[in-house]
Amino acid sequence: MKKITTVCPYCGTGCKMNLVVENDKVISAEPAMGRTNEGNLCLKGYYGWDFLNDTNLLTPRLKSPMIRREKGGKLENVSWDEAISFASEKLKRIKAENGPDAIMTTGSARGPGNEANFVMQKFARAAIGTNNVDHCARV
Amino acid sequence: MSNAITEIQDTKCLLVFGYNAADSHPVVARHINKARANGAKVIVVDPRKIESARVADQWLALKNGSNMAVVNALANVLITENLVDQNFINNYTEGFEEFKAVVEKYTPESVEKITGLKAEDVRMAARTYAAAPNAMILWGMGVTQYGQATDVVRGLAALALMTGNFGKRGAGCGPVRGQNNVQGTCDMGMLPDVYPGYQKVTDDAAREKFEKHWGVKLSPDEGYKITDLGHKVKDGSCRAYYIFGEDPAQTEADLAHLRKTLQAMELVIVQDIFMTQTAEMADVIFPATSWGEHEGVYSSADRGFQRFSKAVTPPPGVKTDWEIFCLMSQAMGYPMSYENTKEIWDEIRELCPLYAGATYEKMEGLKSVQWPCPTEDHPGTSFLFEGNTFSTPSGKGQFIAAEWRAPMELPDGDYPLVLSTVREVGHYSCRSMTGNCSALQTLADEPGYIQMHPSDCEKYGVKDQQLVWISSRRGKVISRISANERVNKDVVYMTYQWWIGACNELTIEHVDPVSATPEYKYCAVKVEGIEDQAWAENYVQTEYSNLKSKLRTAARG
Repeated sequence: MKKITTVCPYCGTGCKMNLVVENDKVISAEPAMGRTNEGNLCLKGYYGWDFLNDTNLLTPRLKSPMIRREKGGKLENVSWDEAISFASEKLKRIKAENGPDAIMTTGSARGPGNEANFVMQKFARAAIGTNNVDHCARV
Repeated sequence: MSNAITEIQDTKCLLVFGYNAADSHPVVARHINKARANGAKVIVVDPRKIESARVADQWLALKNGSNMAVVNALANVLITENLVDQNFINNYTEGFEEFKAVVEKYTPESVEKITGLKAEDVRMAARTYAAAPNAMILWGMGVTQYGQATDVVRGLAALALMTGNFGKRGAGCGPVRGQNNVQGTCDMGMLPDVYPGYQKVTDDAAREKFEKHWGVKLSPDEGYKITDLGHKVKDGSCRAYYIFGEDPAQTEADLAHLRKTLQAMELVIVQDIFMTQTAEMADVIFPATSWGEHEGVYSSADRGFQRFSKAVTPPPGVKTDWEIFCLMSQAMGYPMSYENTKEIWDEIRELCPLYAGATYEKMEGLKSVQWPCPTEDHPGTSFLFEGNTFSTPSGKGQFIAAEWRAPMELPDGDYPLVLSTVREVGHYSCRSMTGNCSALQTLADEPGYIQMHPSDCEKYGVKDQQLVWISSRRGKVISRISANERVNKDVVYMTYQWWIGACNELTIEHVDPVSATPEYKYCAVKVEGIEDQAWAENYVQTEYSNLKSKLRTAARG
C-alpha cells in the first residue's frame, strides 16, 4: 500500500489529498494538510475517485483512438498513427482552403492540468496559426 | 481572487453575493463559518436561503436579475451617507466622479420594485460593510452567469475601491472559480486574446517574444470565443473544432442549437477520458489519461499553483494530453516534443514573468505558490495590489458604473416561471466523472430535480417528488419536483448535470457583451404536471438506459 499526495480534481478550492493505492488501484482518499483545506475534504474529495476503476456506471472509458470516416458513419477503433494522420490531414486541408482561423480549439479546465493546456494553446497558435483558443470559463 | 481563500478567516466583514459556497466549494464554506466564528459580520445577497444565509447577520433575498440595481444602491448609500474612504479614492483611484453621477439616482428606495429589497435593509448592509476595518466580497456564478455580468463585477469592485478595501490582508474581492483548473486554463492563455501569463496577442513586444521562443510567426489577431462558434459555423467561416476535455453537448446553453452547430462542422475532434455525449458526435476521438494517471500543476481559485501526481497506471491505449498535442503538431509540420511536464513547466516560467519563480521544487508535497511569483527567491503573493497599485495602465483602480438592465427573457403568460441553473454538492460539471463514482451516484440520479417553492407547487398543481414536464421556447425535458421552502416564489432551480432532465435544453444563449457568458441564471419556463406517474417513471428509465446503451455501443467501436 502506498499513499500519493495530490490535488482534488473537483472545484477551484484546491484541496490537497492522499490517494491510497493498493496493487495499482485506488482504494480510498484521505485529506492532507494543504494550504487551504487544512486537513478537510468534502463529499466529492472523499468519494470522487472510483471512476478511475472504470466502473461503467454512467458511461465507458475511452481506451482506443476512433475515427468516423464519413459523416453519418460509425465510429471505429483505429491505431494512433491512423487517427493522428486522419485528423491532421483534414486540419491541413481546411487550413489550406480557408486559413487557420477556420479552426476552433478549446482547452480543459478540469483534470489535464496547466502543462497540457499550455501545450494545446501552443499547438493552436504555433502549429495551426490561430488565436481561436478558448475554454469553458465563460460557460 | 485578489486574496487567498485562507484570508477569509481574517476579514471583519464578508459580503457573499450570488455565491453558494456550501454546494459549489464546501471547504470554502468552512472558511466562511470560521470567519463568522472569528467575529466577522456576514451579509448574504442571494434569492435562495442558501447555507451561508443561515449563519449570516443579514440575508438580502433580492429578486433574480436585479444584481446591478442592488450593487448601485449599495454604492449610492456608501456615497450619500459619506461612508467612503476619500483618501483612498483621491490617491489610488480614477473615475469616481463619473461613477457617482450614474449611481446618484439609485437610492435604495427608488429601486425597491426592481430589487424586492426594503431600502432600510440595503442601507444597513452598506453601513455594516463600510464599518469593517477590512472587508471581502465573494461572488460566484449568481453574478457572472447573467447577460449583465461584467458590469456587476465592476460594481462590486467599486464598492471595495471606495471603501479602501484592497491591498491588505483580508480585504478585497474574489470570484470563487468553479472548476478545479478554470483559473489555470486562464493562466495558461486558453483565451483568444492572451498568451500564457496574460500577455496580449495584440501587443507587438509580447508576440515577438513568443515568436522568437517558438521559432514561428504568430497571428496578431484576436481569436474568437466559444460563444461565437454558432454563427461562425453558420456563415461558413469555421469548419473544424478541436474539443479538449469538455462536454459542450451537456454544459452549453441552448443544447439543441449547439448540437446543430456540431453537426454542421466538417471535423470535430474530441480528446477526453469518457464517451460523453459530445464524444459520441465526434469524427475523431483521442483517448487521454485521467487525473490520477498523470501529473502536473493546477491553479486553485486563489492563484495557487499546486502539483498533482500520478497514482495508478493508465489503461493501455491512452496517451497523456500533451503527448497527443505533440503528435498532432508534428503531423501538422511544426515539430514539438517534451520529455515530461517539468520541461513544459520550465518553458512556461521562462515565458511568463508572473510565474517565473514558481519552480516544481517550491511546490513539492503539500506546498503551494500563489502568483505573482517573479523570482525564485520570491515567496509568492497572498493578496494582490499591495501599496494600492493596480494592474491598470495608470496603476490606479478604475471606477466603472453601469445602469441596470433587465434580463433578456422575462416570464409571461405562456412561460410564467423563471428558471435559474445551480449546483449540487454531490455531482460535478457534466457528471462524466462523478456519475461513474458509486457513492456519489447513489446520492442522486436521473432525471434530477426542479426546486420549487411549496406555494408554487400548489399553484401549478404538482407535488413533491412527482415527475413533471418543464419547457421553454427552446426545449422540453422531464424532471422531478423538489418542494423547497428555501427557494423563492415564481422561480425554479435545476442543476445542470442531468442527461434526461437536462436544463440546458431550456436555457438561453444570451451573453454578456464583455465576458460572453450566457444567461444561465434567467430564462422563462413553464411546468406541467403528468397525470400518469407510472408511465413517467418508466419513460425516464427507458430514455436513460437508451442513452447509456447508445454511448456504450459507440465506445465499442
